[in-house]
Amino acid sequence: MLDNKEHILWSLFLEGDKNAFSAIFKMHYSSLYNYGIKICGNTHLVEDVLQSFFINLFENRKRIGEVSNVKGYIFISYRRALFAYLKKESIFTEIKNDTHNRSNFEISPEEIHINQDFSSVQKETISKILNTLAPREREVIYLKYYSELETNEISNIMDISYQSVLNTLQKAFTKLRKEVENAVLTAILKKK
Amino acid sequence: MQENKQHLLENLLNDTSFKNWVYKKNRNDIAFWNNWIANNAEYIDTIYAARDIVIGIRFNKSELSEDFINDKLDNVIKKNTDSTIDNGAKSNKKIELIYATSVLLSGIILFFAANFFTATSEVIHKTGFGEIIDLKLPDGTTVVLNGNSELKYNKDNSRDVVLNGEAYFKVKSKPSTKAKFWVTTQDLKVEVFGTHFNVNTRNKKTDVLLDEGSISLLLENGNSTKMQPGEIVTYSKESDKIVHNKVNSNIKYTHWIDGTYIFNNVTLLEVMQYIENAYGIASEFKNPNTKNIVITGGIPNENLTICIMALEKASGVTIQKQNNKLLIIEN
Repeated sequence: MLDNKEHILWSLFLEGDKNAFSAIFKMHYSSLYNYGIKICGNTHLVEDVLQSFFINLFENRKRIGEVSNVKGYIFISYRRALFAYLKKESIFTEIKNDTHNRSNFEISPEEIHINQDFSSVQKETISKILNTLAPREREVIYLKYYSELETNEISNIMDISYQSVLNTLQKAFTKLRKEVENAVLTAILKKK
Repeated sequence: MQENKQHLLENLLNDTSFKNWVYKKNRNDIAFWNNWIANNAEYIDTIYAARDIVIGIRFNKSELSEDFINDKLDNVIKKNTDSTIDNGAKSNKKIELIYATSVLLSGIILFFAANFFTATSEVIHKTGFGEIIDLKLPDGTTVVLNGNSELKYNKDNSRDVVLNGEAYFKVKSKPSTKAKFWVTTQDLKVEVFGTHFNVNTRNKKTDVLLDEGSISLLLENGNSTKMQPGEIVTYSKESDKIVHNKVNSNIKYTHWIDGTYIFNNVTLLEVMQYIENAYGIASEFKNPNTKNIVITGGIPNENLTICIMALEKASGVTIQKQNNKLLIIEN
């Protein structure tokens, strides 16, 4: 039903409804912001890109084709806009080694949610293991569990196959299973 | 093998019943997957990988403050007003909007209504006495429904049926999704991948006879049992008794398939009860000793007259139809 509500908002937005636009903005701003920081690590840059992204989204709404998944669509076009901006910027400022600027999806211990029974040392172990994955693999983990996107949306956003998204998820948990005691792992896994 | 595992992983992640197992949500699904794992030990890694992926990693999310977001929104809206919306078009826009909203609303109502009807639309196949029908379910499974029997299922899911009476199933297997097929009776639930079997719920017990493939039974008391081809299992909720037997010439069983009732070591009394269930006609034994005549063999079942003639031959009695009753007389 949530999906349906999102689609109604989206159709209203396409008609030019500002309230619908505001609702969509508020719904996604935080997660797009956090995702942007994970990509480039620069808050001012992310704020600028987000502002122009949303202005363009509204202005170009009539040219948007059919969208099957609103959240997925917003993430794809935002990611594209952000990378286009980063590319342009790196040419002007001639920053050759821009890895310094980018956080490359490093996952910090503070970001891992864990029951209080477990020490912060264990959070560090877990974030360390996740950080041994390649940046793009960490991005998959991030989109899946932080941004809560579906596997097929992630494959669209990152332009990789459905299969490689699954492989990455599997690889991450195999690593965790190998190196972390079961009890600790259970503590970081979600409970519904 | 590796390819199988990948395939399985994908299927598991898209399987609602598997998610229910992960979150311990549905008793049937939990029992099914526990049983499945016990029988597919080679896939245990894949199962655990799928479970991990479903459960996932929990992150502490940092949400931006509402004020911050509103501030950013104001900036965007201001820029939008400057460049795109002119006031003259506004009133028109409003009408357009109201129209769009009402179209949307009726769409939503239609959507809900459609949902409501499909969610409650049960398909029921019922046979009268002596009537046997061949059914083809939407998923490709064929069912032969014996007389005086009822088969129910939800229109959306013909692989979960409720049976009252007797039916022979040829379940279409779905190897790609490993979708299960369920037959529920008052005593138990038969769980199937793709196979041929008979279910009979008459006389306050359920008989399941498996011809081909493999199935599991989930009993009303919570236990489960696996069946081998050629096996017949009888279970009654009332007595909570389960009997396993191999179908062979020594044991007593009743089976029916392709227009024939097959009786093996069954007394005439039981055969006549069977006839009563299927054709709705009671029997009266003029000579009580004929009740114990044991019958073995196939009896054609297209219609009652032919059935009676065959029974007379097999048992050496005379059967007369009188006042909607079958009178059994010693020769």
